[in-house]
This record gives sequence, structure tokens and C-alpha cells, in this order.
Amino acid sequence: MKGDAGKIVRVNLSDGKVSKEEISEEVRKKFLGGRGFAAKILWDEVSSVDPLSDGNKIIFSTGPLTGLPLPSSGKMVIASKSPLTGGYGDGNIGSMAAVHLRRAGYDVLIVEGRSERPCYIAIQDEEVKILDARDLWGRTTFEAQDNLEAKHGRNVGILVIGPAGENMVGFANVISQRGRAAGRPGMGAVMGSKNLKAIVVKGTGKIPVFDEEELREMGKEGYREIKGKENYDFWIRQGTMLVFEWCNENSCLPTNNFREGTFRFSKRLDGYALEKAKVDRKGCPLCNMQCGNIINDAENKNSELDYENVGMLGPNIGMDDLRKVGVLNRMADELGLDTISLGSCLGFLMEASEKGLIDAGIAWGDLDGCKEVIEHTVKKKGLGEIIFEGVRRASERVASGSEDWAMHVKGLEISAYDCHACPGMALSYGTSPIGAHHKDAWVISWEISTDRFSHSKEKVEKVVELQRLRGGLFESMTTCRLPWVEVDFGLHWYPKYLQAVRGQEISQEEIFKLGDRIYALIRSYWIRENRSWSREMDYPPSRWFEEALSQGDLRGYKLDRARYDEMLSMYYEIRGWDENGIPQKETLEGLGLGDVELVLGKND
Amino acid sequence: MTELKFLGYLAEIYGRKRAEIFVENPRKLRDILEVEFPEDRSIVLINQRVGNFDSIIRDGDKVIIMPMISGG
Ligand code: SF4
Repeated sequence: MKGDAGKIVRVNLSDGKVSKEEISEEVRKKFLGGRGFAAKILWDEVSSVDPLSDGNKIIFSTGPLTGLPLPSSGKMVIASKSPLTGGYGDGNIGSMAAVHLRRAGYDVLIVEGRSERPCYIAIQDEEVKILDARDLWGRTTFEAQDNLEAKHGRNVGILVIGPAGENMVGFANVISQRGRAAGRPGMGAVMGSKNLKAIVVKGTGKIPVFDEEELREMGKEGYREIKGKENYDFWIRQGTMLVFEWCNENSCLPTNNFREGTFRFSKRLDGYALEKAKVDRKGCPLCNMQCGNIINDAENKNSELDYENVGMLGPNIGMDDLRKVGVLNRMADELGLDTISLGSCLGFLMEASEKGLIDAGIAWGDLDGCKEVIEHTVKKKGLGEIIFEGVRRASERVASGSEDWAMHVKGLEISAYDCHACPGMALSYGTSPIGAHHKDAWVISWEISTDRFSHSKEKVEKVVELQRLRGGLFESMTTCRLPWVEVDFGLHWYPKYLQAVRGQEISQEEIFKLGDRIYALIRSYWIRENRSWSREMDYPPSRWFEEALSQGDLRGYKLDRARYDEMLSMYYEIRGWDENGIPQKETLEGLGLGDVELVLGKND
Repeated sequence: MTELKFLGYLAEIYGRKRAEIFVENPRKLRDILEVEFPEDRSIVLINQRVGNFDSIIRDGDKVIIMPMISGG
């Protein structure tokens, strides 16, 4: 099969060994690429290890569409056993590193072991080196990027961690190109635990494609179609920030640690405020709908904003000034901290302070206080020490009922959508394969356009369908889902692109089965790695069930626990998982995962 | 008065983010708007309930017309 090099490059940092392996045709067919490959490798190779030990591995995985002249295809998945959640963790990043890895002839880079001293990996086509990074250790992600570009030239792909990753903060991420970020569930901490500061990749080869001419033509047509979409210009102006006003109107804007769904000062932060503050725009490689909005922040530096970081570092912490939000966002990017988890942790600290549960607290919207907490988080001191391992562990320390308003699922902080009045989205968060994140299934528009408050089977089916497409197909091809989901670029293009690349047709049934297989495998991974697995791990936090919204058009609304439970049971039934959310024998066998069943069966 | 609110790029199609209109006799929303919207990509809420462009609007209704976004 063409369309993927079918090659893994494996670097062991303990003994310096580099090896190259083929990916079997069977694995390529069954798992496609990206997240599919990552899940398979973690299942096969990383079992019962401490995520921050040298036994863990970190996987940089591309898919068959990555790096090709196709809309928004400059993406890769970074995956590992998560130190934040203890389960499967991943994130996708738009980076030239994805493009160069494929040009260098690899689909996947696996890094294992642990280097004795700070290092970085430099790949240039066939040549793979482990180089000294002592001079980079302690540097911010921006400084490290500059330094590595000075050494290796600008025509390379670079992935770096900041001091947060070096010091193994639970929600440290990986950064590329000064602001592209990925790996919320502590992928940066895993790199830090291996003393791995960065990866630099340069590839000069050609990515194998079955029908190059056909692909080029279809790619051009795709870019043209995107540009012609009626909301394209608006997207270019606001990017994901168009979501802000929409969420405020629909009472799902996270406000004051997800207590409310509307923010009094939303107009100071919304997409129109952004348009006024915007000085530039940037984005991922090969994308013609670049959505990174650059503003000049309150300290006169550039900060790249999107909806998630404004939602979480704005209303969720009572910050009502976009340029101040920009400061916190930039600091997080420089240090290599995930902005969503950071916003959740800050909101948690503010609420705990308000309730008098912690000494020397921090007030809502306190910029200087937030800056200090951010600096202290990286150094593991003061209030920063409380949130060092994320909001779940913070609530275990603070106790006093704070577990009910520590806003996470499975240890991963909830991204920027309040669900007091969105039961379908709550289910999406509850069942997301990495803990609470929206990338797999964002269902709020659909639920509002049908029956917002219903808990119907149709709604559950919609969540599963979105998970199959967004979480299965897009994460594995691996391209950005935003052309499809945001400007209505035709979904029908993707099977055609895959066929032109691989020379093989892929049916809708196969696409759905691929998604189901990846989901079943990731779910099995969670269960194998968590001896205390239970159905409750698929629940959103108590706040949404117990405390109703007190403001906005939907005041009085909250989730109903019994009805959520019914939806969860329907979800398990559709997926062929049992009442505890464990994939059943027949389900695994039907998905070609019989070997997984053997291992899970032994856990009974 | 009937309140009309438009979100996102739909405000640009209508030309305004908000409008107040006196609806003397109940009429279909599409007849009130007099502008074509991408209906399969839009959500209509009338007094916080799901409606559509054929829903009958009465004076005093609050109507929100918003794009079917996908939350990133
Ligand atoms: S739409 Fe945004 S996130 Fe997606 S590839 Fe383009 S710049 Fe990156």
C-alpha cells in the first residue's frame, strides 16, 4: 500500500540506539495512522508503567494525508500514557515537524527510555542523532525555537517543551512555531521526564502517493472550495473566536469555574473585540484558513489567541480584558503549559480562595496573582504547588467538598464549554477518550437545533457518529477537522483523498469501524492501566448536576443525573460495551481486536 | 415589538446584529426577514425554543438566528 512510508523510527534515549521498523500492512489497514497507530503502539508496548518513568514512551504519529498538498494537512498526533490522567493521552499539533517527518520517510517516531542529561533529537532524512541540549534547558519554548532555528536553519520542523515540561507539570504540553500547542494530558511532562527538550526534523524526500496527479488536482479543488465558502471571510477575521459570542448567547460560556454559562463582560472579549485588537494571523502548515489570531497583549508582546484559551483564561477566571488574557496565554505558551487546564486550575484556586479553603488566595480576575501562580506552578511552589498535577489532585489536597467543583473528567480539565444545559455535550466530555476534551465530539449546535434538553437515543447516536469521524477518521488521517466542521468543506472529499493516496477505496462502513476499533482499543487501554476502573469515570463533575445556573436565559437549569446515566447506558449499548463501559468480547472480536480481549479477560 | 438577533456571519447577511420590528399580523419568519439565509446551516430559536424559517412570528417574540457552528 502506498501513501504511508510504513516506517517507524525508534529512538531509545537510555542507550542511544536508533532503529527503523516497518509497519505491517495489516496494522496500516486496521489503524490508518495518527491516533490509530499511537493507540496500537501504546497498547502493545506501554503497560503498567509510571507515566514519568523511563518505561513510558512518547509517540509522534502522522497519517496517510499528513504533509500532502491537501487542506490543513500539516498535523500530527503526540501520544503517551498520560501523567495527568494515568490513561491514554494525546493531542494533535499543526507543525512543520509533521510535514518534515513524512518527507524524511517516516510515519511515526517513537521515543523511549531516558537520557542522562538534557538532549534533543535531530532527524535529517536517514540520519538520526541525539544531541546535547544543556544550553537549551530552562529556556522558554520561544527561546528554544529561536536557538534551534539558528543551529539548524529555518527550513526544519521543531517541537519543543518549556520549563513546565522540564519540571514535569501535569499539564505541560508541546509547542511548535511559537504558539502551536498540543498534548494537553501532560505530553510535555513525558518529554521532560526523558530529558528530551526538543525534536528537530528535516525531510527532503517525497511523500509516497498512489495517484499524484489526481491528488494534486483534488487538493487544489479542495482549497478553492474552502475559499469560496460563505463564512470563509468571517472565519479569517475571527477564527474560532466566533464561538465566543455564540456560547455566551447560548449559556455555555465557562464562567467563574463553570458556575455560570454567561459572562457579564463578554463583549470585551468576544470575536469583535478580537478583531479590533488583532495585529496578525498565523496557523499550521498547508492550511488556507489559518486561525491563529495574534494580538498585542497588555505587556506589548504578541500573543496567539483562540477561543479555548480566551474562554478559559477570560470568563472562567473572571478576567474581562482581552489584552490581559493575552498576557496569561503568552506566558503559558512560553512556559509550555496547556491553557485550558491552566484556566481551569486558576478558576479552581479562585473559587477555593473565595470559599476560604486556602490561605493566601487569589481573587477572580487578578492578573498579577495569576502571573505569580503561573510562575510558581512551574517551580512547584506556593499556590502553584497545589495545581502542579492538575485540578483533580488539587481538589484531593484542598478537600472540603471541592471535588464537586474540580472541573475535569478522568483527570483532564474540561475545555471551554459549560454543560449545565447541554446533556449531549456532557456525554461527549464524559466519554472522550483522553478525558474531558471537545475535539472528538462537539455536539452543542446539533442539540440546540433539535431538542436541547432531551436525553434521546438519537442524541447519543450523534455523539458516537461525531466521535467516529472527528476522533477516529480525522485524528488518524491525520488532518485538521476544522475545514469540515467550521466552514462546511465537503466531508465526501476525504475518502477520495485517501483513495488517491493509498490506491484503495474506503467505505463509510470501514470508516465507522475504524473509529470504533480505535475507541475500543483506547477504552481497553484505560481499563488495563486503571485497576480501579468504574462507570463513574465517565461522569462529568457534580457541579453540573447539583448547582443550577443562576444567570442568563437558562437560569435554573442543571443536568439530571438519572437521565445522564440513561444516556450513558445507551452509549455503552451502541458501542458494544458492558454496563461498566468495558468493551465486550464479541465487540472486540468483531473489530479484529481478539488479542485485546485476551488481556482484558485476564483482568476479570 | 419583535426582537431579532443575528449571530456570527449571519449578522452580515442581514446587515445588522439586531433589529426590532413591529409584526402587526403573525407572519412566517422568512417573510419578515426578506433576506435569504443558509437555512441548513442555521439555527432559529424563538423564545428559546427551536423554530425554523417557516415558523409563525408574533409581535413580542424574541428570535435568535445563529449559524450551526462546530466548536473547534
Ligand atoms: S484551521 Fe487552524 S488549527 Fe486547523 S490547520 Fe488551519 S490553522 Fe491549524
